[in-house]
Amino acid sequence: MNEIIRFDDVTYSYAEGSAPALDGVTLAIRQGETVAVLGHNGSGKSTLAKMLNGLLTPASGTVAVCGMDTKDESRLLDIRQKVGLVFQNPDNQIVATVVEEDVAFALENLGVPPPEIRERVDAALRDVGMLEYREHAPHRLSGGQKQRVAIAGALAMDPLVLAMDEPTAMLDPKGRGEVMETVRRLNRERGVTVVMVTHHMNEAALCGRVVVMDRGKVKLDGPPGDVFSRAGELQSLGLSVPQTVALAQGLGLDAAPLTEEECAELIFKEFSRC
Amino acid sequence: MLEAKQITYIYGQGTPFEKTALDGADFSVSAGEFAGVIGHTGSGKSTLIQHLNGLLKPHGGKVLLEGRDIWEKGGKMRDVRFLVGLVFQYPEYQLFEETVEKDVAFGPKAMGLSEAEISERVREAMEFVGLDAGIKEKSPFDLSGGQKRRAAIAGVIAMRPKVLVLDEPTAGLDPSGRQEILSHISEYRKQTGAAVVLVTHSMEDIARTVDSLTVLSRSKTVLRGTLDEVFQCRETLTKIGLDVPTVTRVLLRLRSLGMDVDARAYTPEAAIGAIRAVGQC
Amino acid sequence: MLKDITLGQYFPGSSIIHRMDPRIKLILLFCFITALLMANHALTYAGVLLFLALAVAVSRIKPKALFKGMRPMLFIVIFTAVLNIFYTPGEPLVSFWVFNIAAEGIERAVFMALRLTMLISATFMLTYTTSPIFLSDALARLMSPLAKLKIPVHEFAMMMTIALRFIPTIIEETDKIMSAQKARGADFETGNLFRRAKALIPLLVPLFVGAFRRADDLAVAMECRCYHGGEGRTRMKQLHMTAEDAAVLTGGLLLLSGLTVLGRLGWFIP
Repeated sequence: MNEIIRFDDVTYSYAEGSAPALDGVTLAIRQGETVAVLGHNGSGKSTLAKMLNGLLTPASGTVAVCGMDTKDESRLLDIRQKVGLVFQNPDNQIVATVVEEDVAFALENLGVPPPEIRERVDAALRDVGMLEYREHAPHRLSGGQKQRVAIAGALAMDPLVLAMDEPTAMLDPKGRGEVMETVRRLNRERGVTVVMVTHHMNEAALCGRVVVMDRGKVKLDGPPGDVFSRAGELQSLGLSVPQTVALAQGLGLDAAPLTEEECAELIFKEFSRC
Repeated sequence: MLEAKQITYIYGQGTPFEKTALDGADFSVSAGEFAGVIGHTGSGKSTLIQHLNGLLKPHGGKVLLEGRDIWEKGGKMRDVRFLVGLVFQYPEYQLFEETVEKDVAFGPKAMGLSEAEISERVREAMEFVGLDAGIKEKSPFDLSGGQKRRAAIAGVIAMRPKVLVLDEPTAGLDPSGRQEILSHISEYRKQTGAAVVLVTHSMEDIARTVDSLTVLSRSKTVLRGTLDEVFQCRETLTKIGLDVPTVTRVLLRLRSLGMDVDARAYTPEAAIGAIRAVGQC
Repeated sequence: MLKDITLGQYFPGSSIIHRMDPRIKLILLFCFITALLMANHALTYAGVLLFLALAVAVSRIKPKALFKGMRPMLFIVIFTAVLNIFYTPGEPLVSFWVFNIAAEGIERAVFMALRLTMLISATFMLTYTTSPIFLSDALARLMSPLAKLKIPVHEFAMMMTIALRFIPTIIEETDKIMSAQKARGADFETGNLFRRAKALIPLLVPLFVGAFRRADDLAVAMECRCYHGGEGRTRMKQLHMTAEDAAVLTGGLLLLSGLTVLGRLGWFIP
C-alpha cells in the first residue's frame, strides 16, 4: 500500500526542559487505513494529531505528507488540503452561521471558483448525510450533527487523510455512533484514510489498526485483536479493553473477541463442553 | 429523601420556540442510595436534575426534600441548594478563583460558615476527590484536565450536600480518569452516607456503580427500579435506543446458544462469576 | 431565561423584500433615512410614511412584530417628544411654573416622535428580512472600495460573521455558568449595586476564559482549513442583482429622491 504520511524519529516538547510530548516517534500511515490512536491524557496523542498537517512541526526528525516536509512553509496549504483535521469540540470549529457556508469555508480560502464550491459543498454534505440541513444554523444542531458538519468542512477540500482528535469525546452514544458510521463509510466507499485519536476502546476496535501511545512513544501498534489481547499492558498504561475482551480474558481465554457474537461463541465453545 | 413527582417543564413558554422538556416525569432517591439516571440527549434528564435543587421551577408537579415542598412559601431556596449539591457537565469550566482553595471554598463561604470550618471543609473535599493538599495554592487554570474536573467537584462536595447530583462527571476523560472519579464519588457516599445521583450515557458506568436506575425518554420516566428490574425490560430499552450492558448481551446470547447462565450480571467481573458457576468442569 | 431573547432578529420569509439583494436594501434604507431627515412638512412625512407602509405590507411582516421590537426604544421616542414639547419656543398655549407649551412645540414633538419611530421601523425592516450573514456580507461588499485605502474590510466582515456565529453559543454558556454558580450558592439577584457587581465575578471570569479558549480553538480550526486572510478568497454565494431588484431599486430611488428634493425645496402649499 501507498505510504501517505511518514513520521521519522519525531521529537517535540511544548516548553524547554519539560518532558517531551513526542519522543522519537517513527510511524507510517498508508493509504486506505483506519488508524485509532489510543493513550491516556498527556500521552502525546493530540500532539501527534497536530503534526499530521503541520500545525506543529517536529523539533527534530521529520514528518512528510505525500513526500512534502511539513516544515516547508511553501507547501503548507497543499499539506493542509491533503490532511483534513477535525477537533473535539464541534462548537469551536464551526465558523459560519449557516451550515453550507461553513462547509464552503476551506474552498473559499483556497480560491476555488464559486460554481465548483457549490458542487463540492453539496457533495461533502451528502457524504456525511447532512445535505437536508444545509441551510440550518449550526447552533441548533445536535452534537453528532455538528461534528458531521465539521467533517464535511474538511471533506470538501477533498483530502487524502481525515485526521480527528477525539471527535466523539463530547458526544452522546447516538452522536458517537453517527460519527463512527460516517467515518467508516467514507473510508469504505471513498477510500479516505482515517486517523482518529480516541478514548473509547470500542471505537478503536472498529478500526483496522490501533496505535497506543505512552509518554510520547509508540508502545503498541497493530490490528485491534492483537493490541487488545494485551489487556494487562494496556491497563498499566491507564487504558482499558473493550468489555468483551475483559470478559474473555477474565475467563482465562487467550483471545480478544471484539464483538458480542464472537465473544459468546468463544465462551460457549470453551465452557459448554461439560 | 428527595422526590420529584410528576414534573412538567416547558421551555420558552408563550413563545414560538415553546418546547416541552418534561412531561410528568418522576424520580426519587433515598438517603444513602446510589441512583442512576439514563436517557438520550433531549430526553429531559438535564432539565430534571435542575429541578432537584430548585434551579428550575416546575410548571407542574412537586419536588419534595425530606417530605417538604421546596417551593413552599417561607422556604429558603439557597438552603435547598446546599443540601442538594449539583455538579454540572464539564464543571471545570466554572472555575474562577485565583487558587484552588478559594474556588473550593466558594460554596462554604456562601453558606456563611466560619473561617475555620471553611478551611476544614476545603481540606476534606480535596481529600475526597483525591487532590493533593499541596496544590491548593495553585491557580485552578494551571491544573491538568482531570484535576480541574476533580477540583470543581470538590467545590460542591465542600458544601457537604445530603444529595450529590452529578451530570456526566466522566465525560471526555480517559478510562483511568473515569474510573478514578467514579471511585472517589463512591467513597464520598460510603463515608458520609449521602445519596448520590449519577446522570450518564454510559451503561458501563451505571452497571458498575448504581443501586437503582431511572430511564427517561421523550420527557417522560419510562422505567424505574433496581438494576435487575430495569434490565429485565430489555425490549423497552431497545425501543428507546438504549440497551442492557455489553456483557449482559453476551450472556443473553449464551443463553440463546443453550447455556443455562444467569443473565443478571452487568459487569465483566459479575459475568465471569455467572459463567464459571455453570460452566466449571 | 437568557435563551428566550432572540438576537439578531431575523424572520425568514419569501417575500420580494426577503429575496431582494441585501445591498439594495442597505442603499434604500440609506436613502429612506435621508428623505426622512429632510422632510419638513406633513405631506412629505406622509409620502415617506407611505413608502414605509408599502414596504411593510409587501414584506408580510406583521406590524405587531414591528411594534413589539420597538418597545425597548419607546423610552427614547417619548423622551425626545417631551423635550420638544417644552423646549420649542412660541406663543404659549398653556404655561405653569417655568414650563410653557406652545402649539409649535406640540407639532414638533409629534413630528419628532414620528420621525424616530419611522427610522427605527425602517431599520427593523432591514434586520427582520435579511439574515445576519447576508447583511454583514452586503456591508462588506458595499465597503469593499475602502480596501484600496488599506482599510481591513475583509477582516471586519470576518469578525462580524464570527461574532454572529458565537452569540448564541456564548448566551447558552452564560446560562449554564449562571446555573452552575447558583448551585454553589451564588446570588445574582439581591444586594446593593456593589454586591451585585461583585457577584458577577464568578460568572464573568469563566465566561472570559471560555471565550478565549474558543477563540484559540477556532483560530486553529480556521488554519486547518487553509485560512490565510482575504487574499485570493472566493465566495460560494455570489450576490446577483436581478431585474426585479433593479426595478425596485429604481422605483424606490426615484420616489425617495423626489421626496428628499421636495423636503428641501419646501412645499408651497399653505
